[in-house]
Amino acid sequence: MSALLSVNDLGVSFTTPAGEFDAIRHVSFDIAAGETLAIVGESGSGKSTTAASVNRLLADNGRISGGSIVFDGTPIQDSDERTMRRIRGRGIGLVPQDPMSNLDPIQRVGTQIREALEVHGLAKGAAARSRVVELLEMVGIPEPERRARQYPHELSGGMRQRILIAIGLACRPKLLIADEPTSALDVTVQRTILDELDRLTTELGTAVLLITHDLPLAAERADSIVVLYRGDVVEQGGATGILESPQHEYTQRLLAAAPDFDSIRLVADRPAPDSSGGGVAEGSAAPLVSLRSVGKEYPIRNGLWGAKTPFVAVEDSTFDIARGETVAVVGGSGSGKSTTARLVLGLEAPTRGTIDFDGADIGSLRGAERMRFRSRVQPVFQNPYGSLDARWTVRRSIEEPMMLHGVGDAASRKARALELLDRVALTSATADKLPTEMSGGQLQRVAIARALALRTDLVVLDEAVSALDVVVQEQILELLVELQNELGLAYLFISHDLAVVRLVAHRVHVMDHGRIVESGTPDQIFHAPEHDYTRSLLQAIPGGVPAPQEA
Amino acid sequence: MTQATTRLRSGTQAKALTAGLLGAAPSLVVASAMLVVVALIVIVVPLLPGFDAYSQDLSTVREHPFSDMAHLLGTDALGRDVLDRLSVATRTSLIVAFGAVLISMTLGLAVGLVSGWRRGRLDAFLMGVADIQLSIPVVLLLIVVVAAVGSSTGLLVVMLGLTNWVGYGRVARSIAVSLREREFVTAVVAAGGSSWWIITRHLLPHVLPQVVILAAFEIGTVITIESSLSFIGLGIQPPTPSLGGLIADGKNYLQTDPALVIVPALMILLVIGGVQFVSQGLTARRARR
Repeated sequence: MSALLSVNDLGVSFTTPAGEFDAIRHVSFDIAAGETLAIVGESGSGKSTTAASVNRLLADNGRISGGSIVFDGTPIQDSDERTMRRIRGRGIGLVPQDPMSNLDPIQRVGTQIREALEVHGLAKGAAARSRVVELLEMVGIPEPERRARQYPHELSGGMRQRILIAIGLACRPKLLIADEPTSALDVTVQRTILDELDRLTTELGTAVLLITHDLPLAAERADSIVVLYRGDVVEQGGATGILESPQHEYTQRLLAAAPDFDSIRLVADRPAPDSSGGGVAEGSAAPLVSLRSVGKEYPIRNGLWGAKTPFVAVEDSTFDIARGETVAVVGGSGSGKSTTARLVLGLEAPTRGTIDFDGADIGSLRGAERMRFRSRVQPVFQNPYGSLDARWTVRRSIEEPMMLHGVGDAASRKARALELLDRVALTSATADKLPTEMSGGQLQRVAIARALALRTDLVVLDEAVSALDVVVQEQILELLVELQNELGLAYLFISHDLAVVRLVAHRVHVMDHGRIVESGTPDQIFHAPEHDYTRSLLQAIPGGVPAPQEA
Repeated sequence: MTQATTRLRSGTQAKALTAGLLGAAPSLVVASAMLVVVALIVIVVPLLPGFDAYSQDLSTVREHPFSDMAHLLGTDALGRDVLDRLSVATRTSLIVAFGAVLISMTLGLAVGLVSGWRRGRLDAFLMGVADIQLSIPVVLLLIVVVAAVGSSTGLLVVMLGLTNWVGYGRVARSIAVSLREREFVTAVVAAGGSSWWIITRHLLPHVLPQVVILAAFEIGTVITIESSLSFIGLGIQPPTPSLGGLIADGKNYLQTDPALVIVPALMILLVIGGVQFVSQGLTARRARR
């Protein structure tokens, strides 16, 4: 059998100040013409390194330490730059991850596609221009002639990703490397882009090397799968085989951790608090937080001298958060869910409506009352690496809220910080570490510990688990639920991922364009979605749409 | 294959090691040596017996360097010891430079951090002030002030300090602007942190290393300005020796005794070059980590 790409016993190592380390070891796989192979793994597993070594674009401190890469019958593991330049683009196309940083912001997108054609001398002048329009049409961009003359910032994220696909496919390569091609995109756009990619590569007979962290997604898109764990191939084979009967323990963990419609929920249902007051559990009659017709507008200036027009980030939102309850706000990017988080945190004031916390309007709080509010509501953000001051030790970061509120003395604060670390399942040895020495999951635990340093009633979790690998994500979700049960915390859980929301939320509000379009329990939302937008969010979950059930 | 790999690996390792030892080293070693010479002249020379920068001795005027062991670098037109005067002059110039840089760094940090943290109108106002400041030619301004109120070392330090803060301000502001959007800062705001707390505990520690590097560069600039002013007679006033003053004194004898100009000029080179190369070396080292 002649494979288009044959990787044999590939090893790549990096030279770092700390010494030499192997990023991948003994990786072997074949891709036949027209086939799709997915490399799956968490961050740091070496999946992107594998992709980069195939078209020989490793970072300067990395090198192929062993094995062979045979592309289209030619060994390329030792090829020089000149040979590789001919192969890149023409033989092996690339669709990189981030459409924002991978397009030149000061070049028209048409020019950038044309460049891909011209470097390989495939088209010139008018022919190149018409080919660009063809390519844009092919990747599903409406009004291709007009769009070709636009700049990246004038296009949406989904369209920019389509442009990158057009560039990747411009020279009709035999192999396309797609490195997390949709991870930077809005959930609802992801599926369309992947469908588009599927259709094109089938039409053109292009083989695809798909790099992803998402095993269900890989199983859905690929013919075969390679699972990488810390640089080693732990399992490889046909996609359906791996999905149905994963052999290796890590693959099983990956699959088990990926939330889908069959995952067991981490919290039990609660009776819906209806406005008439009946059926509400004792003692919790007054909600902890209540938003009433809340709106937030930002003035946006049109052009340099244009008039200011209001941009509506949140419109007429009304919902409550009861004590000890998890309320989820779900939506794509630009839906207004993060603005809602900032409003509830009191970081911004609503332009309309009121937000009451424990019976008092947040906007009216001053001085000591405001500080008291600040001590009771704490945030946990998406990016674990950005959530902690890189120059502060873990312990100091956790102690900071106590210092701000004058709680205890140095010794008691230290004791409390260590207690909190223990609570989030980190050892006391982490106390004196700096954020740069820790993993994303550990940092997110520290951020949670910091959020609990004071007498916290409400934690606002703004995409708090979105940046984490599935296995870590599952652990953090479990920790959150455990803390909720022990401490009676309420959570405002902001997320784009309905599958995750389903696991932990008691109540779900779906937001689109600043409006809450649908509300209900996770079961209602999942099994009887009423709004089109909710349905498109559900479809974005790899693994398909659940069978309709009685809610 | 395996053998080749092993050989390759040990080779790269050796190369990385040499690069680590020597890569940054030559310039850093040379620069440090330059500063050691400066330090020796400023600190050790005044401790030597017979140190005297002011006494005139008309019997021994304009001696050439190394011709008389009592005056290692020779004497000037009034018979004063060049090495001793060089020592005092360098000390004066360094005090002026460090003092001025300290003032402008503090001012720039304060303006930049507040501006970047608060944004809005205050930011626009402060950055407007910075632009105005930049549009005034510093040396001309100093000439006007010195001509109006006379010259003193203290005035020189303050004036140089007050006119050089914009660079620090801009650097501090741009870092503050990017940090204020970061999640860890938002988390502190949400936990009840005041502006003062955030600026001093979170923004300053991030800004300071960058600004200190800039300060090292500025020391050279300030020494140049000070020397120029002293050269034209508006800086440090005689009899206090300063590097610019020494050059000014020596310029009349450029044909016959060039050492009188070359020695202080070399000193300026040593100070500016030493400080700049050291700061560059340290920056590179920081970047690599």
